[in-house]
Amino acid sequence: MIDGQTLTLRVADAVLVAPGLRRLHLVAADGARLPPAAPGAHITLTLPTGHNSYTLVSADPEAGYEMIVRRTLQSRGGSRYIHDTLATGDVIAATVPHNLFALHSQARKHLLIAGGIGVTPMLAFIAHLRRSPAPFKVPFELHQLAAPAETSVFEALLDARPGERVHVHAGEGYFDFTALLAAQPLGTHLYTCGPAGMMNAVEAAAAALGWPDSHVHREDFGASGGEPFTLRLAKSGIDIAVARDQTMLAAIEAAGVDAPSLCRGGACGVCMVPVLDGLPEHRDHYLTSDERASSRLVMPCVSRSRSATLVLDL
Amino acid sequence: MTAVPASNRPRYAPIAPDPRARAQLLVMDHDCPGDGAFAPGVNLADFPERWGIVAHALVLPEPLAGAGVKSFRSSAHLLALLAHRLAAETMGLRLYVVGSEPFVWDVARVATEAGMGRDEMQLFAMGRPVRRVSCVHCRHINPGVTTTLVTCAGCGVTLTVRDHFSRAHNTWMGVQCDAEAPGELPAVEDLIA
Amino acid sequence: MATRFKSDETFRDDYRYGNSDEAILRFPFPFNEDGYMYGVNIEPHSRAGSNGAFAVAFDVDEHYVSECAERATTLALEPGRCLVLPHMDAAQWDTLELIMESLAADYPDQFVLERDGLDWTWTNRPLGLHQAFRFGDATTLPHPPFEYIVRQAQGDFTLQDQRDGTLYMDGGIATTPADWSLAFDVGMTFHEWHGPVPLAHQAGVFDRALQYLMRVRYGHPARRLNWTMTINPRLDTSPENFPLWGPDRASLTPENIGAKLFLRVELQSFFRLPRSNALLFGIRTYLASLDDLTRVPKWGRRLHRVIRDLNPELIGYKGLTRYHDILVAHLAQFDDGTPTTAGIAPDVAQLP
Repeated sequence: MIDGQTLTLRVADAVLVAPGLRRLHLVAADGARLPPAAPGAHITLTLPTGHNSYTLVSADPEAGYEMIVRRTLQSRGGSRYIHDTLATGDVIAATVPHNLFALHSQARKHLLIAGGIGVTPMLAFIAHLRRSPAPFKVPFELHQLAAPAETSVFEALLDARPGERVHVHAGEGYFDFTALLAAQPLGTHLYTCGPAGMMNAVEAAAAALGWPDSHVHREDFGASGGEPFTLRLAKSGIDIAVARDQTMLAAIEAAGVDAPSLCRGGACGVCMVPVLDGLPEHRDHYLTSDERASSRLVMPCVSRSRSATLVLDL
Repeated sequence: MTAVPASNRPRYAPIAPDPRARAQLLVMDHDCPGDGAFAPGVNLADFPERWGIVAHALVLPEPLAGAGVKSFRSSAHLLALLAHRLAAETMGLRLYVVGSEPFVWDVARVATEAGMGRDEMQLFAMGRPVRRVSCVHCRHINPGVTTTLVTCAGCGVTLTVRDHFSRAHNTWMGVQCDAEAPGELPAVEDLIA
Repeated sequence: MATRFKSDETFRDDYRYGNSDEAILRFPFPFNEDGYMYGVNIEPHSRAGSNGAFAVAFDVDEHYVSECAERATTLALEPGRCLVLPHMDAAQWDTLELIMESLAADYPDQFVLERDGLDWTWTNRPLGLHQAFRFGDATTLPHPPFEYIVRQAQGDFTLQDQRDGTLYMDGGIATTPADWSLAFDVGMTFHEWHGPVPLAHQAGVFDRALQYLMRVRYGHPARRLNWTMTINPRLDTSPENFPLWGPDRASLTPENIGAKLFLRVELQSFFRLPRSNALLFGIRTYLASLDDLTRVPKWGRRLHRVIRDLNPELIGYKGLTRYHDILVAHLAQFDDGTPTTAGIAPDVAQLP
């Protein structure tokens, strides 16, 4: 099954739903059940080009996971790999699902605003909301911005039921977010996913109308990993290469150096170590802002380096 | 370092209107706030819409929404109409509440039921501490408690009023104070804000 | 699993309870050094190479059958001790799935889970249960799903909804609480329900712990140990029933303290639930008497030092005030001043 860390998935099906949009159906390579996931969850695939995160459009322990990938000309070529190279039957490693974009349990209404491929978490949301039994049913409204050539594709994906407020708008240009947001009843939560410019415009319109931050949610895959760097352990006299998706602590342990640690999540302080040279990038929850600013201490379990080399008193 | 009491009691900050809000509503359990309820430089005129309680019945019903000063006959009267008002409201409202501690959390509950989050409200409790104390043994709620010990009207036990507050239920926790040594009671003191 | 279940222990009234030597040696002793103060002592749960109580997701020990009977008794008398708010319905099923999967994986001789789509069959051999049901359909179970499964697990559990940058305790079961009330605390945030704990707030312990817990991922659970002391092996030390167990605190004497005073350790575990994105907290409670624990020389020495030097605010918060002096006096006989090793291990393979 799974070891809690990674899933081994097999591509059961890969279909072009529209030019540049590929839908993948992934199942467990050994045919076992997969972990369930809440709507809005994503998984991170390990591809030859690097790691890419994709929202799960659907997640069923037995039927498997579905995602839709837009072919873009991004820097490392992950989506190009998925479109041009990945084939049915291929096996890939993935993380278990993780959710940083969940529906809020206290919403009286969910307002969903998506642009282009940002439709993917919305598909997961509306599938869940449609299935909710009557006493728990929370009303929703969805607005999808799409390129004119793609409106029919998104209408087919969203498959609006009679009476649902599901709207596809042609043209990713001007959309009057202000008018839409001004009409929302108290208790509405807003979820947006799509191009950064669109999400920024939605957030700005909400702020201008006095929406509190607690009611505005933006798709987020979380920041993990970063640029590779060199770690020099002054006492041990060795240099270690810390890879893009490896924590400093894992790199130190892999090099056979004994480093105390406990929570491995930046909260307990046990792994704290003095910095002799270089500029740490702090991602912990333990150091005070003064300690961070002094750059004299770092928590290797979660933090990284801003400088090409970081020297620790270890 | 100043000692922080082992307690989850709410801490209240003097109220200042949120400049980002689309609309503001000030709700008070009297017809004016007491001293210290507002931040320096803030006064009543900064809240064009204000609800207060005048505690008599000679109050004419008025439209719920819109600027102006509205008076209500009692706390129950105000809370019932607040629920109606919020049900018709749109996003962007901030709610400011000034009054006794039980009152402000009653208002907060109505607002929470309407889907408002804690960051859409500012609460300021004032006056002598008066608490609703929930007896953990018999679940009776003893209102109007102003001392550290109270005899439960439900089961007769002498309760110590623990400094543990439920915002959802708007009650403080009461636990038998002499369970370890029956009859051995500490001195009664007034509650301190 | 070699466990022989004790089926007729009691945790109230006549207190028929005892730990086997094996149970004592695997006891999760909470002190890894000769002093104690609050910290963020969270760590990953069940790493490879762990043993005893730390090797599995939900520990089942020799007291399993008796503790489940004790829970059933408490719930029959006080049904409100299990309470889940309506919006946590998905978390109920998540909990049922997690505990069933874990017990079946960790104790395959005792628990079996068979699944055919949504038609599941659950076998619990120690309790003699066999249940066919449809996952997601509460009408096919004799109790609501959360209550159904926690009646077959040792320890209390709470369900946390993660929203607004914090955790809300929106459900749980508390039949073995260390002086806290689920009915009163339900709906509180992480900082609010920890309100009564002295000293920890200004040290920033709860701020850091909360940041860590909100980042716990599915498949990567965490745990920490907490402790207090209880007179008699009483599991239900709820505030609700304080009139029943409170008087026990004045009943300790130098002659009976060894047998009557118990170290109460909570193995708290934290699991991300996949369908609801909620957090499940397990609060697994272990009880061992002073007589039990002082059979381990290292633990006898360490207990004396920890209790003797404990911060007075902690003495008060943990309810030790009335008997602290006779406790320290009793423990002194086990402390010859010899240094103790770091860590919680007993350092002996057998008890004298």
